[in-house]
Parts: sequence; C-alpha cells; structure tokens
Amino acid sequence: MRGNKSVNYNKSILLARANIRRGKGQTAAIVMLVLLSSLMMNLWLMLSTDYRKNFDRCHDRLNDGHINLAAYVTGEDFKEFFTAALEKRPDITEFTISDGFCAPFSFKYNGGEITHLGVLLEKEDALSRKAGKFEITEDSDYKSGIYLPMLYGTRNNYAAGDRIKITLLGEEFEYTVCGFFNSAMIGSHNCGMMALLLTEDKFEEFSSESCALKSVYASVRVKDISKSESVSAELKDAISKEFPDVVVTGNNYEMIAVSRYVSQMICSGILSAMAFLVLLIGVVIIVSNIANYIRENMRNLGALKAVGYMSGQLVFALLAQFAGISLIAALIGTAVSYCIFPEINSMMIAQTGIPYAVKFQLVPILFTLIFISGVVSASVYFSAKKIKKIEPITAMRQGIATHSFKKNHVELEKTHLPVNAALAMKTTFGGLKQNITVCVTMLVISLILVFSATSFRNTIIDIKPMIEMIAGEHADSAININPNREEELIEKLREDGRVEKFYLFTNNNMEVQHVGGLSLAVSVTDDCSKLNNRSLIIEGRFPRYENEFAVAAKYAKDNGIRVGDEIALRIGNSEEKYIISGFLQCTNNLGKDCLMIREGYEKLSPVPNVTYYINLEEGTDIDGFNGELSDRLGSDVNSLQNIRLIIESVGGVYVLLMTFLVIAIVIISCIVIVFVMYLLIRTVLNGKKRDYGILKALGYTTRQLVTQTALSVMPSVTLSAAVGIFVSIQLINPLMTVFLSGVGIVKSILTVPVDICIAAGIILVAFTFAVACLMSLRVKKISPIELISGE
Amino acid sequence: MKEILLKTESLSKSFSSGGALQHVLKNVDMEIYRGDFTVIMGASGAGKSTLLYALSGMDTPSLGKITFGDQVISDLNSDGLAVFRREHCGFVFQQIYLIDSMSVFDNVMAAGLLVNKDKSALVIRAGELFAAVDIPEKTQRKFPAQISGGEAQRAGIVRALINSPEILFADEPTGALNSKTGLEVLNTLTEFNKQGQSVVMVTHDMRSARRGNRILYLKDGFILGECDLGKYRPNDRERHGKLSEFLAKMGW
Repeated sequence: MRGNKSVNYNKSILLARANIRRGKGQTAAIVMLVLLSSLMMNLWLMLSTDYRKNFDRCHDRLNDGHINLAAYVTGEDFKEFFTAALEKRPDITEFTISDGFCAPFSFKYNGGEITHLGVLLEKEDALSRKAGKFEITEDSDYKSGIYLPMLYGTRNNYAAGDRIKITLLGEEFEYTVCGFFNSAMIGSHNCGMMALLLTEDKFEEFSSESCALKSVYASVRVKDISKSESVSAELKDAISKEFPDVVVTGNNYEMIAVSRYVSQMICSGILSAMAFLVLLIGVVIIVSNIANYIRENMRNLGALKAVGYMSGQLVFALLAQFAGISLIAALIGTAVSYCIFPEINSMMIAQTGIPYAVKFQLVPILFTLIFISGVVSASVYFSAKKIKKIEPITAMRQGIATHSFKKNHVELEKTHLPVNAALAMKTTFGGLKQNITVCVTMLVISLILVFSATSFRNTIIDIKPMIEMIAGEHADSAININPNREEELIEKLREDGRVEKFYLFTNNNMEVQHVGGLSLAVSVTDDCSKLNNRSLIIEGRFPRYENEFAVAAKYAKDNGIRVGDEIALRIGNSEEKYIISGFLQCTNNLGKDCLMIREGYEKLSPVPNVTYYINLEEGTDIDGFNGELSDRLGSDVNSLQNIRLIIESVGGVYVLLMTFLVIAIVIISCIVIVFVMYLLIRTVLNGKKRDYGILKALGYTTRQLVTQTALSVMPSVTLSAAVGIFVSIQLINPLMTVFLSGVGIVKSILTVPVDICIAAGIILVAFTFAVACLMSLRVKKISPIELISGE
Repeated sequence: MKEILLKTESLSKSFSSGGALQHVLKNVDMEIYRGDFTVIMGASGAGKSTLLYALSGMDTPSLGKITFGDQVISDLNSDGLAVFRREHCGFVFQQIYLIDSMSVFDNVMAAGLLVNKDKSALVIRAGELFAAVDIPEKTQRKFPAQISGGEAQRAGIVRALINSPEILFADEPTGALNSKTGLEVLNTLTEFNKQGQSVVMVTHDMRSARRGNRILYLKDGFILGECDLGKYRPNDRERHGKLSEFLAKMGW
C-alpha cells in the first residue's frame, strides 16, 4: 500500500514537472517575484537579528559602560566624590574614570562639517581602560597625531596620513590622522558625545595649550541594563546636588543602542515591508494562475480523474510545482542577498560606525525558506481545492463555462467608446481575477512609489523636513559664548544687516530631572515665536510663560502625561512645578527632551551657557560671518557652527542611503510590474486565443489586438494606481511614524510631494501600459488559420 | 462578360510535416467571378480549405500570385491581409466561431465597427440582415452558447455580411449542423447570392454543392475540372444530373 502511494505521488511529481516545462515563462516570472521577496526578507532578517546584535557584541568585547558620563570640571575633590558615589552603589558592577578634555569641536566631514561634543582622551590610556575600552581598527606608521572614530574612515573621508583641522573652543588644531578606533558608546556623532584619541605627545601638548575644560570621563557598568537610564539620572542628580557648577553630560546603553542603528532600522523596516508586499503580489499571481490553470485544463483534469488520478494527487502536483519553484527561488534569493549584503553593510557602517563582518546566518535563511514555502503552499492548497469538486465526466464533456451570461458588458451598439476600447472593456469586465491581481499589484506599487517620492522629497531634494522632524531646531549659524559676553553679542547681531533674526536656543548638555521620572534634555529659548522649526510642537502650543514647558511627545506618551498636566522638575536642589503647554517631537535624546523659555528655566538654575541661533540673509557667507564673530568675541566663543554645512554633511549619509533605497525600490517595482504584466497578459492571451483568432479572421490587425489587450488591464491599473496614490498620500506619514517610532517619532510630519506622487502615478500607468503592450505582442503569434485548422 | 473578382496564377502552398515538405496546392490558376456562387469540391485532403484560405487572405501562398481587382494580395503582410479581409471579405466557418463572451448582436457589431464608423447605419443594416435570416431581436441579445447551432450559423452569416463584402467565403457552413438547420443556412446563402452577393463555398456535400452555379473540383492540389451549372434553375433535376455526371467524371 505504501509502495503504491509512493508510485502515485511520483506521478504527481511527473505532472508537476510537465506543468513547469509547459509554462516556462510563468515559472520564470514566479521565480523572479519569490526571489525578490526572499532576497529582501533575508536581508531584513540579517539586519534585524545578528546585525543588530553586533552592537551588543561590540559593547561586550570592549566591556563598555552602560552609562557614560563626562563631567566638565574640576579638581581632585570632584573625582574623589564621584569615585565614592560610584563605589557605594550596589547596582554598579564596574567603572573606569579617565582624565580628559571635554568641549564642542568641529571638523570637515562628508563635504560639510561636523560639530559635536567631544571627549579627548589619551590613546594609550583609552586602550587600557578596564571598562569602556577602545580598540584600534586601523593603525599606521604615524606615531604622533590623532585617532578618529572609524566611521570617518569610510566613504573617502579621511585616511591615515591625512591632515585634519579641528576647531575647538574657537582655536584651530591640526593633526595627522594616525588611524581609526572603535568605541561602542562614544564612537560616533550619533552618541551624544564622541571621543577623539590623541597620541601621548599631542595630548600633553593639548593639555598645556588648550582652554578646553579639563574633564573626567567615566564608563559605568550596571547590573541591570534596563535601569541604566534611571541610574544615570540618579548619578547626575547626586552630582548636581553636591557640585551645582559642574556640568555633566552623558549617554546610556538604551539610547546608544538605538541611535547608532537608525539607518539599520529604516533600511530593515523598508526591506521587510517590501519583502511582504512583493510576496503578497506573488501569492495573488499564483492563486490567479491556479484558477486559470484549472479553467483551461478542465478537460484534462477530468480525463486524469477518469483514468484514476485522485484529487489529492492533482492538488499535490500543483503543490509540488509551485512550492518547489518557490523553494528554489527562495534559495537563490537568499544566496543573492549574501552578494548584496556587503554593499549594504558598507553603507550602514558609514552611519553606525561599528565594524561588522558579514557571515553566514542559518536562522534567517531557514525562516525565509520556511515562511515563503509555507505561504505559497497554503495559498496553492486553498486555491487548488476546487479540483476536488471536478466530476470527470462533466469536465470532459463540457469543460467549464468560461463566461458568465448574467450581463453583456459594454454593448457595442450603445457605447460611445471606439471599437477597440469597447472590446478591451469587455475583456476587463470579464476578468475578475485579472482585475484583482492588477489592483493588488498597483496598490502595493503605488504605496512603494509614494514612499519613494516622499523619501526623495525629504532627503534628496530638500532634507529640511526630515531634519525638522528628527533633529529639531535649525538655523544658519549658531554661536555658543560665555554668558558674560552675551549683551555684546546681542548688540553686534542687532547692528549687523546680514542678520535676519537671532534668538537664544541653548541646549548644550543641559538637563532637568522630572521628579518621579527620568532626566530630560532641555532646550531653552528666549522667544518661541522666533524658532524656525514650527513643527517642533505637534500637539498643544509652545511655552509662553515661565511656569510652562513643552515635553517630548514620546516621553509624554510613555508616561501618560497630557497637555495641561502639572509636573515637577528639578535641577540640583531647586524644584518647581510646571504646566505642560504642548508636546514636541525631537529624536536627539530618543524622545526624552523638553523645551522651556528662559524665565522658566531660570526659576531652577541660571542658564549655564548661551547659544544663539542666527538666521542670515540669503547668500550670506556663513563661514565668513562666523569668522567675523569669532574675531570680535575672541576666546569667549566656545563654539561656532555653520548649521547648514552640518546638515549637509550629516544628512549626506542619509541622502546616500535613501538614494540607494529609492533607486533599488524603483528598479524592484519595475521588475515586479514587468513580471506581473507578463503573467497577466499571458493568462489573458491563453484565455482569449480562440477569440483573437476569430477577430483576426474578421480583419482585426495585430496592432489593434495588442492595443485591446493592453487597454483591457488599464482601467484597473489606472483606478487602482489613482486610489493607491491617493490612499498612500494619506497613509505615508502614519506609516513613517510606525517606521520611526523606535527613534522617538510619534507623528511623522514629512512633506508629502503630491505633485511628484501624481507624476509618479502617471509614469506608473504609462510604464504599465508600455509593458502591457510589449507583453501583448505575443498576439502576433496567434494566426487565424491555426485557429481554423486546429479545431 | 463576367467580371473577375479574384485571380490566382501558379498558386502553390506547401507545408512542412515531420521534416518532409507536403505540397497541398500545385500551380493553381483560376478566377472567381463577381456574382457567382462558386463551389470548391474535392475529397478530404484535396486542398480545398487551403485554397479557400489562400484566396481569402487568411493564409499566404508559398508561391504564385493572387490578385483581387488590381491589388496583389499575395504580397501583403499580415496587417495588410487583415485590412483586405475586413474591407472585402466575409467568412462563414464550419465551427461557426462566434465569440462566446459577446452577445450575438455584439458579435456582428464587432465585425461591423471595424469598417463602418456610422453606428446607427450599422445597427439598421444588422437589423435588416437579422430579419433576413429570421433571427428575432430576443435571440440577438443572447450569448452564442444560449442559441441553437442553426441560429448561431445564421448569425455567423449576418456577421460575414455586415460590411457588405464583395466576396463571401464559406468553409463547410453546414458541416456542424443537422440536415434541417443546414438547409436553412444554404437557403440563406442562396438568397443572398440571388441578391448579387458573390459566394465561394467549400464543401464535400453534393446537396450543398448543388446551390452553386460554378463548381471547381480539386484533386491532389490541382483544379481537375470545372462545371458550369449557371444555366440550370436551382431545383432543376438536370442541374443535379449535370453535377452528378461531373463529379463522377472527376472520380468523386
């Protein structure tokens, strides 16, 4: 009995092989769709699993701190206090404190400039730290100079031996780049603070010359990582109580684990969405193909049943056919993903700044293969169940009714359409499955196009909306000076005709403690009405009075805080109550930010440093303007930033990534359209071979029939593309909110380029029509004489 | 003097079958005259359908020349032949070949709208033709699968005549019908021929062939003989006798 069954299923496999051989084009198209889906699915899984864990591995390898604090100080008394404070906490397992310097610095990067809070450490000291070690990723024969975080060695930015000019507190230092290093917690400008390592001679030279603040840098490991944020807040609180003048800045594990992987999150989010959408299209096509197969082969299936084939065997043959080719395609897809991954990895490293060696990963492959085969098998099984209902004799005698006689769509005597369009419409109305396939494909492609258009608009054309959503406030220039020169600065700015507006917007390492909650990074302004980023507040309004403040929407959401609530804030020993005027959106501190007016902040503490944001007239040389300010105010200038240049350089990494993604998405969309159209038109032509033979005999030319065929898919293409574009325009920001929720976005406010979306929709329709025409050229092969002699 | 509608010179058609070349038509020289009811007869495999489809521009000859008036149709490409067919020819097939997904009326309109852009004139013409073949309006609105074979074939004739073709080609038009409905179809063709419609019909049925006024007998790819029945009245016994005699001579 067992042997008999085996023989029977061998026959099913023979049938499956025969079907594959007969439909080579169809097989190739399905293979391509499944291949694309599996490729993206495997890339997504690799990025979301092992790639993401790479940070933890790096963190563990370097025994890096879960909390990293830099205190601008100070003397030995602070160090003693700090050491004692760390030692007495039972929740801290290990820590290392190093001497260094802390100050904002800037240097050329990615065609622009990077300005960030820097922690300068001595190289050998940094390499020998117990907690928070550094590792050299690229060394050279240059023994005197600077080591940079490794991401600055990517994309042709810097190489060993290059000279780098670093501006630090208004002074310019020039070093030779000796190599690059890796640090999990302060190895990138996405870490809140970033390390630079100087060789011993240069460190000593810097110590004697520089006005940079002598600081201590501590890496602290805690027992429970999930409490790193609260431990950090408690430590800062303890310091501010004992040393109110000491400025402490820092980061923690949770914040850095996310912020270093923003591009990975965006990329894997897009890949997962694309993988599932392409698989959905593939499944719709497979289901539609099976329905057509059953319809076209009704007589054959009846005959097979009549000679003894069981329904199960016929269903199994289809399962073997589609699941088999899907499995092979998925295998090829996962293999191809390993060819693409190194390129994606190199782009990712430019943002994450953490080295990653591509390696074979079994789990993503298994998941991809099992998931895709499972989905395909289930859809084949359910759509092939119809075979069980076939009665052999009925099927052999009658085949199956190929047309519903309920309604004669588009009556030719009444319609105002030209005859070819009218005949095309008849085909359209007669092909429900074809229309469903087209609709699903076009809806998916429309969504993808709107996403691409939105990404294109908000990164490649003008990155400002993305910056406003993610980075917060922006201007042309920013100057941070000692508070005692503030009046002079204001006077100078008022007198300067090039200055359009200026306002206090200071947030350099300033934090307030939410009593009963976490510490929040605070930005202080003197006039919210002058802020350039009006979308900073996404609910409620900007704070106007001294007892108001705006808090990050993510923090509010996570803590059940509403607009109008009153909460207590504390700095050191001062505590005050404030009313929440609105929610702001900013990802700088992963959604743990707040905004206050100066009078409000000063109820707790004087503003420790002042940064003024300046808008300049169009065409003003920002660097020249900054230079003049620096000359005038001298050493009291702590930092001067050309913000436009910073946006260009930091944004450049995202522009590059998005350009790659948009190009990849457009190419994939084109491939999907070509294969979907191939399968659809093939199905239409197979179904209408006889009709087209008759029409050719009556005098219809190949061109007319090609037009009819292509036009028959256009109503559903046009309608679903229009609906898809319209709906996607509405949905894109909510979807982006989901994508970016991990970095603190609660309401995406990207500019949706309706004009580009409409243009993309028109191009999509035109492209689909062109592809449909091209695929319909197979009509040429249909000859009326074959129809007549064939029957 | 009869006007020549179609003329062939050294018309040959070969097919490749199993690697061997099979010559179906061999140097056929013939004319089709306007207003005639020409019947092409012959045994199975004689090449009569091949000849019909070559004459009608449905197929291209391997060698030789086919002229329609001044136009050499054997030189036309597939689109040129399609235009020739739509403008000058009508077709009635053995298997009828109405399009299943269209109503009977739309089947006719689909052919008519190819040539005639005046829809209202076309609807009137279709109505007249349907009336002539006795297909009521209710039947016209049905789908082909919902009507009888005889009605479908008569609808096929209406479709073939909707553009007032100069020549109507019929390939075994009664082959798929029973004797009663077959007779109705033949009567319809005869009636249109009486009104001046040129008809070329392929058949191997003697009863059908009797409707023609000119019989061409095809054997092994050659026109073996020709019989003129024009001088006999349609139901004349002599007509039947003359045809029988001709066919006997041809080895039928």
